[in-house]
Amino acid sequence: MLNLTSIFIISGRLETIKYFIFIISLIFLLGCPKKEKIPVLKGSETPTYGGSFVLDSISDPKSFNPVIAKETSTTMITDFLFEGLTQINPFTTDMEPRLARSWEYSPDGKIWTFHLRENVKWFDGRQFTADDVVFTYNDLYYNPDIPTSARDILTIDGKRIKVEKVDTYTVRFIMPKPFAPLLFALGMEIMPKHILEPMVKAKTFNSAWGVNTPPDKITGTGPFMISEYIPSQRVVLKRNPNYWRTDKTGNGLPYLDSIVILIVPDQNSSLLKFQAGETDMISIRGEDYAVIKPTEAKGNFTIYNTGPTFSTTFLFFNQNPKAIPQYKLRWFTNKKFRQAIAHSVDKETIINNVMAGLAFPQDSALTPASKFFYNPDIRKYEYNLDKAKSLLQEAGFKNKGGRLYDSEGHHVEFTLFTNSENNQRVNIGNIIKSDLDKLGIKVNFVPIQFNTMVTKLDATFDWEAIIIGLTGGVEPHNGRNVWHSSGQLHMWNPRQAKPVTTWEAEIDRLFEDGATELDKEKRKKIYHRWQEIAAEELPVIYTVTPAALYAVRNKFGGIKPTSLAGVIPYIEEVYLKK
Amino acid sequence: MIRYILHRFINMIPLLFGITFLSFGIMKLAPGDFLSQMALNPLISSETIELMRKQFGLDQPWPIQYLKWLWGIIHFDFGYSFTYRVPVATLITERVLNTLLLTSTAAILAWLLALPLGVYTALWRKSLFDQILSFFSFATISVPTFFLALLGVFFAAKTGWFPTGGAISINYAALSPFDKLCDRFHHLILPAMVLGIGGLGSLLRIVRTNFLEMMRQPFIMTAKAKGLHSNTVTWRHIFPNAINPLITLLGFEIAGLLSGAAFTEIIFAWPGLGRLILEAVMSQDLYLVMGSLFMGAILLILGNLLADILLATIDPRIKLR
Repeated sequence: MLNLTSIFIISGRLETIKYFIFIISLIFLLGCPKKEKIPVLKGSETPTYGGSFVLDSISDPKSFNPVIAKETSTTMITDFLFEGLTQINPFTTDMEPRLARSWEYSPDGKIWTFHLRENVKWFDGRQFTADDVVFTYNDLYYNPDIPTSARDILTIDGKRIKVEKVDTYTVRFIMPKPFAPLLFALGMEIMPKHILEPMVKAKTFNSAWGVNTPPDKITGTGPFMISEYIPSQRVVLKRNPNYWRTDKTGNGLPYLDSIVILIVPDQNSSLLKFQAGETDMISIRGEDYAVIKPTEAKGNFTIYNTGPTFSTTFLFFNQNPKAIPQYKLRWFTNKKFRQAIAHSVDKETIINNVMAGLAFPQDSALTPASKFFYNPDIRKYEYNLDKAKSLLQEAGFKNKGGRLYDSEGHHVEFTLFTNSENNQRVNIGNIIKSDLDKLGIKVNFVPIQFNTMVTKLDATFDWEAIIIGLTGGVEPHNGRNVWHSSGQLHMWNPRQAKPVTTWEAEIDRLFEDGATELDKEKRKKIYHRWQEIAAEELPVIYTVTPAALYAVRNKFGGIKPTSLAGVIPYIEEVYLKK
Repeated sequence: MIRYILHRFINMIPLLFGITFLSFGIMKLAPGDFLSQMALNPLISSETIELMRKQFGLDQPWPIQYLKWLWGIIHFDFGYSFTYRVPVATLITERVLNTLLLTSTAAILAWLLALPLGVYTALWRKSLFDQILSFFSFATISVPTFFLALLGVFFAAKTGWFPTGGAISINYAALSPFDKLCDRFHHLILPAMVLGIGGLGSLLRIVRTNFLEMMRQPFIMTAKAKGLHSNTVTWRHIFPNAINPLITLLGFEIAGLLSGAAFTEIIFAWPGLGRLILEAVMSQDLYLVMGSLFMGAILLILGNLLADILLATIDPRIKLR
């Protein structure tokens, strides 16, 4: 048994657990097949009403307030309850109407008018109107007393968007300048004015709708509403009988009566629960694929591979002149040096050994999951140590007795950090280290604690190379903080007063143009150019992006694989087959 | 006796002060804070993070944060959780009963089995049964609890005899009162057994060793030489002496009741406190960690006090003053 003092060393023990689990999974994995074709959906059935869909979540929701709480175990629940004016089409990644019926904008692109649906009701029966929209933006997202990251997305050059009511079902958004990501930003949840306004006035909004709120007080417009929450056990959602959407034949949606989300903190237990038939859908880790695949027929479920995700893992070098020795800075700011390193990243081995075969090599700053803006025709860096050697030679490095020296005679050696909590990154680091070894480069690979790494990146800058990952999304503008030279997450050399290099200046320009260009095709060109520069200059060296795998019981209809929304493009269209 | 207990309670105050001060300091020594996780989110600006830091009071020097927390504790206010934004007390009370149910069932199971089995193996030392039990106890000591728990869930999933986790079934609300009780019990068996077995091995060894030690004492030989019945020797003279150190151990066991089951809780999806604390430590949810550490400290002190009182009642040589 664990006693009180052990709490302090738990994080250390978790590592041991992961290690054990890894060993055990390895035993299961031996001799199992890899990489199989994605199954295609069987014919369509007519949907029926009723039934319950059981999922699991790794952690409790932290709140039922989507303005304040943004982490995934919370949004997993609140996404069923609340809706925005727009939403992303999970198949095309285009923006499509949700609470807004349609929109148009003025020729200068600064005034956008949104026409709202007139048949939307809050859970308590009140009509949804323009007042709710105006309240949500002006009194919640733009309220300085409310700590919400949503405000950062809605701020253009430090200025806010003016939101005003035109009539009961029309709102107008007036911007300081044209802002292409607006439609994406307006996917944010709209909240009920008649319930929340008193809380905002009483300054209690920040703790409103916490997990201790009675379920019937949480009021949204979404297809499902909360019927029960038992802490650390489950959240039960029930059908919203007044939901505005109907299917093709005019029948009300959603089809399902209820959704049950079990809270299962351990991923191995979650897998066993699915195998025991207690849950209907599970997201599968690469290492579990070989265990679960053979039971597909017996368990009456299908595994879907929805392809590359938005998740990235990359290596990058410190190019901040204030923080590291000058001669090392000269290596790291040398494009050829970075390109040579990129050619020595063995993506195939990483995919097979670290990701259990379920990942894709990544070269572009966007993953293929972002469909529309993804540029496949950029410079690619296949694993080729000979190319790496000749690039290093061109850059003036010399190999003597198996060790690489720069033109001034310094041995090429650097420290590589990653966060020790992430096994995949640690394994990727080891593979890169052993390949760089073959080039005569000495890598001191040191996994450190996540928060220590953040401090180095954000404040002290005393690092040489780091492997981390970020999760992107459909809207490329969301990467501005990383790619604009003034961004705080422009990690290789953050918060530049003005761009140090010409290519950084060009990327800055592209991101500014991309934010104001309203023509889709022109925008696409802009972001394609950015990906080209990023692949040529390599401020960050990408490795692989994992595939997403889901297993769903065959008794459910309305299941379609998408890279954006897993296998459930629209939850209200999921139904139980008879 | 009453004076002694009062005295101990007064001693508790500086002790609690010291424990909480140290814990707070150690939490603060860890790099970063609750908001560090957000620093790598491209969609959150550093201004927003600073605003949150200010609202949580994390921008002040830590001794001031500590004093503010202490001031709250004096008024029975444990503060707000950063993650959940609800009072810490609400979060803890929701889960504390579940944890107590699991850990006390496991502890009772372990003690009820360890005492008779320990005595039996000591009396019949080197018998086949003793050797089997020795093997068993060393096996349970060396296998980590989380692994036993994983085996437990695996067993449940494969046989279908037990639920694979959670504390109640999905249709719990629709059950009759008797079925509700059965349902709870059905969910409790496996995790309690895993946790109980985890504790049983070492307890059993301690009982056995203590008992053997006492059997070799000269006064036992004297008693036997005087012609006392062997049952009388065993239960009147060896047993009370042999369990003395165990009572001290019982005091610690009480302290472990709140936090002792984190891994079992995680793997069995048991809605307990250990899980909550673990998550809180990981995310540096300061006041939630402090709140639960505070309760753990109080239980530890009370457990020790209880053990001392028990010792005094059982052992005539010990007097409390």
